[in-house]
Amino acid sequence: MNSPNPTAVAEAPPETPPRRRPIRLPRDRHAIVDSFFRFQSLFGLVAVFVIAIAVSPVRNGENVFLSSGNLANIVRAVSEIGIIAVGMTFVILIGGIDLSVGAVLGLAAVGSATLMVDSGLGILPTVLIVLFIGTAFGATQGAIVARIGIQSFIVTLAGLQAARGIARMWSGGLGIPIAYGDGPQEAPEAFSMLSGSINGVLPVPALLFLAIGVGALLVLRTTAFARHVYAIGGNEKAARLSGVPVRRVRIAVFAISGLLAALAGIIHAGQLNQGSPNDGAGYELDAIAAVVIGGTSLAGGSGSMGGTIAGALLLGILNNILALNNIDANVQLVVKGLVIVAAAALQKLRPRIA
Amino acid sequence: MTERPLVRMTGIGKRFGGVHACRDIDLTVRAGEVHALLGENGAGKSTLINILSGVITEYDGAIEVEGRPVSFGGPADAQRAGIATIHQELDLVAGLSIAENMFLGREPRTRLGTVDTRRMRRQATEHLRTLGADLDPRRLVGSLRVGEQQLVEIGRALSLDARVLIMDEPTAALADAEVERLFATIAELRRAGVGIVYISHRMAEIEVVADRVTVLRNGGVAGTVDPKTATRDDIIQLMVGRSVDALYGEGRNEPGEVLLDVRGLAVTPRRPTPGRTEPAGVDLTVRSGEIVGLAGLMGAGRTELLETLFGAGGSGRRDGEVTVDGRPYRPHGPRSALARGVAFVPEDRRGAGLMLEHSVSDNVVLSALSSLTTFGLVRRQALRRTVAGQLSALAVKAASPAVATATLSGGNQQKIVFAKQLLTRPRLLLLDEPTRGVDIGAKAEIYRLLHQLADTGMAILLASSELPELLSICDRVVVLHRGRTVAALPRASATQQAILAAANGDDVKEAR
Amino acid sequence: MRYARRAATILALTALVATSACSVEDDPGTSSDASATCGTGKDFLIGMSQANNAEPYRQVMNDDVTNAAKSVPGFKVVVSDAAQDNSKQVADVENFLSQGINLLIISPNEAKPLTAVVKKAYDQGIPVIVLDRKVEGDAYTAFIGGDNVAIGRAAGEYYAKTLLPQGGKVVEISGLPGSTPAAERAQGFREGIASNPKIEIVASQTAEWLREKGQSVMDAMLKANPDIDAVYSHNDPMAEGAYLAAKAAGKETAIKFTGIDALPVPSGGIKAVEQGRLQATFQYPTGGREAIDMAKKILVDCTKDVPKTTTLGTMQITKENAAEAYTTLGGKQ
Repeated sequence: MNSPNPTAVAEAPPETPPRRRPIRLPRDRHAIVDSFFRFQSLFGLVAVFVIAIAVSPVRNGENVFLSSGNLANIVRAVSEIGIIAVGMTFVILIGGIDLSVGAVLGLAAVGSATLMVDSGLGILPTVLIVLFIGTAFGATQGAIVARIGIQSFIVTLAGLQAARGIARMWSGGLGIPIAYGDGPQEAPEAFSMLSGSINGVLPVPALLFLAIGVGALLVLRTTAFARHVYAIGGNEKAARLSGVPVRRVRIAVFAISGLLAALAGIIHAGQLNQGSPNDGAGYELDAIAAVVIGGTSLAGGSGSMGGTIAGALLLGILNNILALNNIDANVQLVVKGLVIVAAAALQKLRPRIA
Repeated sequence: MTERPLVRMTGIGKRFGGVHACRDIDLTVRAGEVHALLGENGAGKSTLINILSGVITEYDGAIEVEGRPVSFGGPADAQRAGIATIHQELDLVAGLSIAENMFLGREPRTRLGTVDTRRMRRQATEHLRTLGADLDPRRLVGSLRVGEQQLVEIGRALSLDARVLIMDEPTAALADAEVERLFATIAELRRAGVGIVYISHRMAEIEVVADRVTVLRNGGVAGTVDPKTATRDDIIQLMVGRSVDALYGEGRNEPGEVLLDVRGLAVTPRRPTPGRTEPAGVDLTVRSGEIVGLAGLMGAGRTELLETLFGAGGSGRRDGEVTVDGRPYRPHGPRSALARGVAFVPEDRRGAGLMLEHSVSDNVVLSALSSLTTFGLVRRQALRRTVAGQLSALAVKAASPAVATATLSGGNQQKIVFAKQLLTRPRLLLLDEPTRGVDIGAKAEIYRLLHQLADTGMAILLASSELPELLSICDRVVVLHRGRTVAALPRASATQQAILAAANGDDVKEAR
Repeated sequence: MRYARRAATILALTALVATSACSVEDDPGTSSDASATCGTGKDFLIGMSQANNAEPYRQVMNDDVTNAAKSVPGFKVVVSDAAQDNSKQVADVENFLSQGINLLIISPNEAKPLTAVVKKAYDQGIPVIVLDRKVEGDAYTAFIGGDNVAIGRAAGEYYAKTLLPQGGKVVEISGLPGSTPAAERAQGFREGIASNPKIEIVASQTAEWLREKGQSVMDAMLKANPDIDAVYSHNDPMAEGAYLAAKAAGKETAIKFTGIDALPVPSGGIKAVEQGRLQATFQYPTGGREAIDMAKKILVDCTKDVPKTTTLGTMQITKENAAEAYTTLGGKQ
């Protein structure tokens, strides 16, 4: 086809001097800058890791930070937030937010404890019921968002309150301790596996986190569902007019978030041997922080699961190295705040091809 | 009218990427004259206006205001120089009152430094009175009809004491009485020595108000004429150029079976949305291999009809019968429409057609993902092949399928929307202003594509505001007026006059 | 390149903040030896794991521990705050273990979730002193805590003998229902006033430990019982709230108020007594100083058999001894 401007997209015609055009980086340098921003959280993770090694205290000639016990502690400590953050990534990718995850975690922890200790159920039925509760809770929130069209911030804020309330009613307001054994009022011994490690090295919760993270990463890279998720976040109207089942995807995304929050709650109960209705308070904010540090835009439509996983690990390492150096708890909060803002600022600087 | 011009623009040029939006345009505005600016969409009117009103600050050429060279750093500079603009898309704040909108950013102050609400309201009322609008300045702009909002916008321009007033389609949303009132105001302004740049598509209006007409085509000046002496045909000739036939393509072949049959379609919304005209009695048929045009004034309900046919319209009770392929058709959403082989290219490409930040490839495959997946997993190889094939079939110019869609030109973006919808293999294609904001080259390609698609037996229903476009590529033109079909003109008997007369319904005024 | 430069600046600044924050205290971890055995002239690192710094009582506990440790040569205390999160407190203790602390002082957020990690520390041979709230089992070195029944009884006896010897109508403002301290402070008080049958508890309402709820609860009780003689509150903030309600009703001089806790802080009960709003308050000891005393016995004096459970007494604070008690308990003016 003979368009009047065959070179319209590629370059300016030679006869017009490239006046007023910004000087462009050569393509490869541009690509380097771009991939820096794309994998910003990974670079950040490496940077924080290196800094952590450098400033770590040394004990008996051994770098405390690098000791296998300490690294295991880090991944164990981030696993619950990490699993929640994986679900949160889906929600944020469609341009939503899920504030209920911390409360759902508490609800799931209470559910696990009550069902095993008071109702005497086995591990499998307990886990299935609790996961179902979390999924149903998330799906209900998603349905309200999708059908009635209330912003997810409000719906999940209400969900947060509701989940806490249900958890308190279910538990009578107090933590339900989990004792192990075969007798009545005792949970199956195998449940305590959640606080154990594989070969004494890799904590079970961390293994679950990594498995779920990798699984979600693959889902996001390979499935049609993921493309629908990105499309809704990118331009919901265009997605709807393109035949994307917007409502169904919305509901599914919130259901995933609820499911993973419930899973984190089961792990929580297993690690602490207790289901307490107040557990998980504020976890939603840590999860959002991990997602944001991972470079996912709160506006939806762009971001990656790898970023979220790296973001969660980065936060974990940061917490750990600050604690190892006995930084005052209040200073720790300030440092974490600065890191979140810096990550978001970096994202803003990402060059856009105009 | 021979005195020194208020504004003299010489050699104005502007490029967006490789496209010349304006090239070497000269334009003068004299005190007390109405200078009409005509041209098809994409002819360069908006760009020229944006340069004069300070929205675009980088351009070639020079502007003089009252003999002094000026260089605007932004719209505020232009306003200070006495150039006020009434934009087509109203920039009013819905949550503020009429008075607050009119004095936004330059609120009168009391001695204490607080906003002098009383003075603001009084002045707002005065300005509105001169326009014949009796509106309470305390009302929220969001509660006004679009026509009333237009009046507020004009009132704001008046309050600036502008020497030069740019009006971009000011009557698009006005009722006839309001139009009369506006013309009276324009006459008054003209007597006061204000120079007016007037943009409109309505030929009749231009004959009434304009002293001079400058026609733009393809970013350049096609000619300046006196409307008292020039005929409509002269002006249209200037607008579309000579090669009308080459632009729209050759004749058509015989249409086949009736594919879409609409009888008495009406939608009664549960809660009427201001500014929407739902179908209120639509009868039309589209045959396989046929291109049917949908004409009508702004607000006639063209977009709403297409959306309803695609299952994306407003909710409410639906009456009438629609069949596709002889079977009843009642889509609950775009998904079920696509499943029945009905595809839609929306008017608002950026807002409703594309994910601009996402890659070309992501956009192209979005509607057809189910055919590219196995057990929900995307087959990457097949996807890449499909995208490449579709891009070359439509001659999309993109650096690679991985670049963000926002980097493409308007015409190529529109081709991406087409590519996406065509991947669903539709039998009926609904198009809403498919060539808006598209340069002339891409336009020709789109017309050629539509002919090709019709030749394969696809049925096409195309809504457009450009009458020459409808007249030349459609087999029939169906005219809507207030949500109702008022005429179905076969190609042979369709003329601009006939369409306009039908589109104006019974309210058409011969004087205009 | 502009972007890259700005990006690099942000990274560098963040790194700078992070590292400079990290270099504030770099020595304690390195200077102490994990295998340090007891004895004089050595350096010891003590980890203090606090459940929630946001509670004034726990902040005072931290202050007591750190201040007491300053007077023991070689003691270095590091404090962590779990902010009411069990998981965080587990991680805090794990981090202490990584650092190689010589002794752990812990004030657990909840018993069950922290039992395992406390046992882990104890099993590594690290002495563990548990403060205020217990953990389950006996895998710890010593528990130090107050006796809420005894405190309630002391308050009751004060009512019976000193405050209302002629008897009178008392209302009780209690702590969070279901919490052990609230139950014990209620029980002890009833034992204490038993010797004076003319004292009558006419109403008992919960204000959930909160000052603002103390105020609203007192408002309601004043309506129902206009002739109250005294208010027994389970803690000082609720007593202060009740005082404000009575003041609004113009009855603050006719009614006597007592509280419990007696924190040596400007907003605490001791100051309220000194300034005449409360008649008396009863100290609920933090055990911080006692914990360091015990740590000194274990680490410096090599004492093997410290008592498994230490129950702390209370101190009655009235106008006469308030100023003095404020200083003795470590309050800053």
